[in-house]
Amino acid sequence: MKDPVNSPKKSSDRGGDRPPSGFFPRWMNINLLAQDVSFFILGLIGASIVGWIIFPAVLYSKHPQPINFNHALHLDSEKVDGIEGETKAEKCLFCHSFRDDGTFAGIQKLEKCTECHDDPESPLGETPAEKTFMTKYVANEEEIPWLVYSKQPDCVYFSHIAHVKMGNIDCATCHGVFADNEKLPLYVKNRLTGYSRDIWGKRISGFYWNKKFSDRMKMDDCARCHTEKDQEQNNACFVCHK
Amino acid sequence: MKITRRNFIAAVVGGVAGIQATPLPWKFTDDVAIWTQNWPWVPVPATGEFTDVSSVCNLCPGGCGIAVRKVDERAIKIEGRTDYPVNPGGICPVGMGGLQLLYDESLRFTGPMKRVGLRGAGQFKEISWGEAFDIVAGRISNLRKKGTPEAIAAVDGNPEGTTVSVLIKRLMRAMGSPNYVRPPSINDTYRMGNLLMQGTLAPMAYDLENSDYVLSFGAGLLEGWGAPGRVMNAWGMWHDGNPAKRKTRIVQVESRASNTASKADMWVAPRPGTDGALALGIAHVIIKSGQYDSRFIADHSFGFEDWRSLEGVNHTGFKTLVLEKYSPEQVAEITGVNPKTIVSLAKGFVSAKTPVAVYGKGKDNLNGSLYEFMAVQNLNALKGSINRSGGVLLPDPIPLSDLPLLEVDAIASKGLKTPRLDQAGTMRYPFTDSLINNFTDAINRDSKSPVDTLLVFSANPFFTLPDGGGFKKALEKIPFIVSFSPYRDETANMADLILPDSTYLEKVDDIVWPTGLQYPLYGLSKPVVEPLYNTKNSGDTVIELSRAIDDSVGSGFPWENFEEVLQTRAKGLFDAGGGLVSYDPDAPAWQRQTAGNGPKPEYESFDEMWEGIQSEGMWYRPVSSPRSWKGLFNTPSGKFEFSSKLIAQAIENYSNKISKKAALKNMGLAATEDEVCMAHYEAPKAGADLSAYPLKMLPYEMINLASGWIPSPPFLYKTIFENQLLKDKSFAAINPKTAAKYHLEEGELVAVKSPAGEVQVRVNLSEGAMPGIVYLPLGFGHTAYDEFLKGKGVNPNNIVQAGQDPISGYPVWWNTPVKLIKV
Amino acid sequence: MKKANDHGKFKYGMVIDIDKCTGCGTCMVACAAENNVAVRADQSDKERTITWMRLYKISNGKEFPKAEVSYFPRPCMHCDHHPPCVSVCVATATKLDFNTGIVSQIYTRCIGCRYCQAACPYGARYFNWWDVFPQDKGMDRYLTPEVSPRMRGVVEKCTFCHQRLMRAKTLAYAEDRREIEEGEYVTACAEACPAQAITFGDLNNPEHEVSKLIKHPFTFRLLERIGTEPKVYYHSNRDWIRKLGDNFLPGEYTPVVNKSWAEEEWSTKPGRDEF
Repeated sequence: MKDPVNSPKKSSDRGGDRPPSGFFPRWMNINLLAQDVSFFILGLIGASIVGWIIFPAVLYSKHPQPINFNHALHLDSEKVDGIEGETKAEKCLFCHSFRDDGTFAGIQKLEKCTECHDDPESPLGETPAEKTFMTKYVANEEEIPWLVYSKQPDCVYFSHIAHVKMGNIDCATCHGVFADNEKLPLYVKNRLTGYSRDIWGKRISGFYWNKKFSDRMKMDDCARCHTEKDQEQNNACFVCHK
Repeated sequence: MKITRRNFIAAVVGGVAGIQATPLPWKFTDDVAIWTQNWPWVPVPATGEFTDVSSVCNLCPGGCGIAVRKVDERAIKIEGRTDYPVNPGGICPVGMGGLQLLYDESLRFTGPMKRVGLRGAGQFKEISWGEAFDIVAGRISNLRKKGTPEAIAAVDGNPEGTTVSVLIKRLMRAMGSPNYVRPPSINDTYRMGNLLMQGTLAPMAYDLENSDYVLSFGAGLLEGWGAPGRVMNAWGMWHDGNPAKRKTRIVQVESRASNTASKADMWVAPRPGTDGALALGIAHVIIKSGQYDSRFIADHSFGFEDWRSLEGVNHTGFKTLVLEKYSPEQVAEITGVNPKTIVSLAKGFVSAKTPVAVYGKGKDNLNGSLYEFMAVQNLNALKGSINRSGGVLLPDPIPLSDLPLLEVDAIASKGLKTPRLDQAGTMRYPFTDSLINNFTDAINRDSKSPVDTLLVFSANPFFTLPDGGGFKKALEKIPFIVSFSPYRDETANMADLILPDSTYLEKVDDIVWPTGLQYPLYGLSKPVVEPLYNTKNSGDTVIELSRAIDDSVGSGFPWENFEEVLQTRAKGLFDAGGGLVSYDPDAPAWQRQTAGNGPKPEYESFDEMWEGIQSEGMWYRPVSSPRSWKGLFNTPSGKFEFSSKLIAQAIENYSNKISKKAALKNMGLAATEDEVCMAHYEAPKAGADLSAYPLKMLPYEMINLASGWIPSPPFLYKTIFENQLLKDKSFAAINPKTAAKYHLEEGELVAVKSPAGEVQVRVNLSEGAMPGIVYLPLGFGHTAYDEFLKGKGVNPNNIVQAGQDPISGYPVWWNTPVKLIKV
Repeated sequence: MKKANDHGKFKYGMVIDIDKCTGCGTCMVACAAENNVAVRADQSDKERTITWMRLYKISNGKEFPKAEVSYFPRPCMHCDHHPPCVSVCVATATKLDFNTGIVSQIYTRCIGCRYCQAACPYGARYFNWWDVFPQDKGMDRYLTPEVSPRMRGVVEKCTFCHQRLMRAKTLAYAEDRREIEEGEYVTACAEACPAQAITFGDLNNPEHEVSKLIKHPFTFRLLERIGTEPKVYYHSNRDWIRKLGDNFLPGEYTPVVNKSWAEEEWSTKPGRDEF
């Protein structure tokens, strides 16, 4: 008997009633296996490229905000009258305020802006953003269509006053640091869900080491914080859902 | 290198394995799950700033205070106001669903419109206000130029005394037409009864909250009578025990086990239309036992005992009449009520401390019978429950100023001299203001309609009149119809021109003295939201229309806008003094009994008062201590009249014209002599062969379905039971014994046929129904509006064969003979 | 995991006085308006019409003129002991919140299997066979943002107007309070009832009116004997109404006899049975 491994396959060997030659089946041919592995890896790499690079690129669309709002500028108490406070949160609350009934005003309407920027003819600064703001929105009394990074689905209920006032949690804990930004980040929108990327988290993997609360805004993150802060009773469904 | 099949598979396997280690499948699955939660057709209501706007509900004359919750500019919920005297916190289901009447666009006219389709088809084309005014003003001034202004007629459903109705009446006078008619209301009966027995022009004032025994003759206390928010609040209080810790008993007299009858402490079921006889039977027992208030009778009443006139003629008094004709046994014969029950009712009534007998017919948007009212009011007099806490109070009319006198031109004064089409106020109907059923007949009688142009304000007579469809026929004959309705109702669909009013949540309007309230109240509603569409407050429309007609008509309307008229009238409230413009829930208006020196004024100038009325929506004067008897009854005798001198006078006047016999017959009276001046029972005239129509049909009302000119908010259909409406069929409540005679089973289809028409309904076997009577619910059977209301059930008004109530002439809608035919 | 009977701070519940109830249906309309409940053209099909609060008409079964009708207003009972719907939900879309006693329902989590609907002994759960509204009529303009509108294919039910608890809490926080007072959180039906037949409050708080009312011998619950411990109580002076609160076999029902105490302390008048 010839070494079945080394014996080249000949068409003439086939046929007849001879059993398949050799101890190892033919597919275990090392060359073929090597080929398989390389193609497998090729597929693997291809999939990784698709999954890690192309998919996120296709999934998200990027939108600039209608106006580049300068948070750093507006939080400067020397420039803006009335912005005062010990903590950053208190400064934030100057615009993003609570109403008398405790509800959160969120991003204010034009009305709040025009408390200072009252005359479309005379801008308070020299930035092009303010110019657009004045001519496009203030002059036409049109609301600015802000894209809200932290907009949650309709079924979610969130009480800012419970967290910020009663829980003493800083705005940046969940929203990240906006106060020092001179430019608004691009709004990255998930084409499928329609929500901002910031909700699911900037990391497409969804994995974080030492995850900060500002990294993501999903239900698990709310629950994790409640548990950590010994507020487990607030993990009941109706606390955050409506 | 050649890529073999094997290589390809290896690559795919690699790809599949590799993809698991990327976020793609996991993130994709998650995102798809979220995507399915965001169907674009599931609305996501925008959030914003929450506010509450206080106003007053104007859907019925009840005038409950409402607080409308808003998000930014959107109204999202209506709630009852706790700082309003009428309804401490609660409102009725119709008012609760009011936002659907505001926002359901297919119920509404979105601007002035001209009819383009056939009458009734509801096809309209939007036009400008200018064009609309031109069309209607042109038509009216043509009629005036021709010298026939009386060919203009108006149907006005705004409650009597409201500023819009005053303006509409004024417009009619200024144009020169006497033909101003109103749909019937229980207030018509109250007004007439009050005038004849007590000589007062103020509305009925039942002090329900302070009463310890409420004997209600047909008043649907829980079906929407009076101001529903007030009555149902009183209902709750009666069950709690009112502050004086008395146990209030409620007795309901009604032929059907309505909610009121079921929930009352006692239910007495006389045959429909015999409530008056029952009241007289109770009076008989009271008089016979001598337990009546002899002091009140002696000092403050006239016509109780037999009396002799100045001319020396002997007259029968109420006592003799009742003792002779209304013993419990005689009354049992008429009413079908057990004589023992009549005795126990009388006992209950006289042994109570502050009882009150209330008269009504279901809700307040249909009239009652004059003699029935008188019979019931006699009970209050017998017990001395008049001008006493817990009884019937006699407040002054609300002190609103009159508008400046209107000077009419020659054309108008000629037109005003023509007789009214409905004959109201003639010798035949001496005390009646308006008789819409006669008005309908007058149009239908001749081949050519005497009315050329009909203006319809806040009314849907096509649907609401108990006339067997008579008004519908009249509408078909009238050459030109203008509707001012904000809603696409049946009457508006027949109109040629629409000048739409704004809805009650979009405009300023007033409420003058809610039905049955024991103290004067002037309510003012305000726009809760800006008008959504191109509509106009009818008050403003009338003013603008007057100017568009011609200078002569326009000169009678010298006001800038409707609000100025409201202010002009409100001046009287300031001059009268003593009114409050804010309400403290801890001091209910019915409780304040400050003797003599009334509450402190909260304002010093008219402007201050008006500001208060505008922001709080109210002016009212709390109940004061019983008033001095002096000059209280403004009747010819100066007393409460068991025997009305005005009726005697009217019959005499008429008898001078034609024979007394003919006069009595024309006025619908079978009784003669002194009996006609007093409450007595008149058997209704059989309008048809009773062997062919052996049963009676009685329409009934429900609080959870609007049966007036306002459409029902679609939410209300959730509250309708499946044995009241199933798909497109409404149900007739029939006693199982009656149904068995016709071999009818639950849910079976049956035709109810009267001489006036036929409707098809399903059978609901109900032990709450009196045998021999077919009860049909009012409020179903719309042929207009949208899919929520249209084509659901039948409208019993279509088969009502109404007779005429003696003297008043109002339609007797509770006595239609019918037969049942199995379908 | 806490045990079912290990309760938190609050236990919200209501007492409905059936004698005061006028059957007007304002509670039903108020509920629908408050909670963005769908309306459809045909609402006579009661199996498919959504009514979180529903009136059931009952009758004493006597002949005319002794017949009388009455009504059971029926919200979700918010069962306190093993709510049947919670036990069967495969998606954990409905849960009993031990801290408030409210049985929650999360629409986005519901898979629409309708098992809970079958399990509920009170028929308090409703399935969305259709999407909220007929489109293009402008009726979405009255929707409140406080309650999330439901999509087709999910089950919904009364939530004791949970959004009103959140509203009350938010207001309390704005006023520097951590706790809310009695009356600050009241369901829409209780608030709207023109006859004040519905009392709402915390059953754990002996000071609250509801805690006092449930001690009355005329107070009962629906299907009490199945042991779900509903937090909705009913009250009536009329014996026949109390008897309809459960499926009693002949002879099983014992009328309440403690009447003299009741009449003095609680009742302003005898029930109609005794009139």
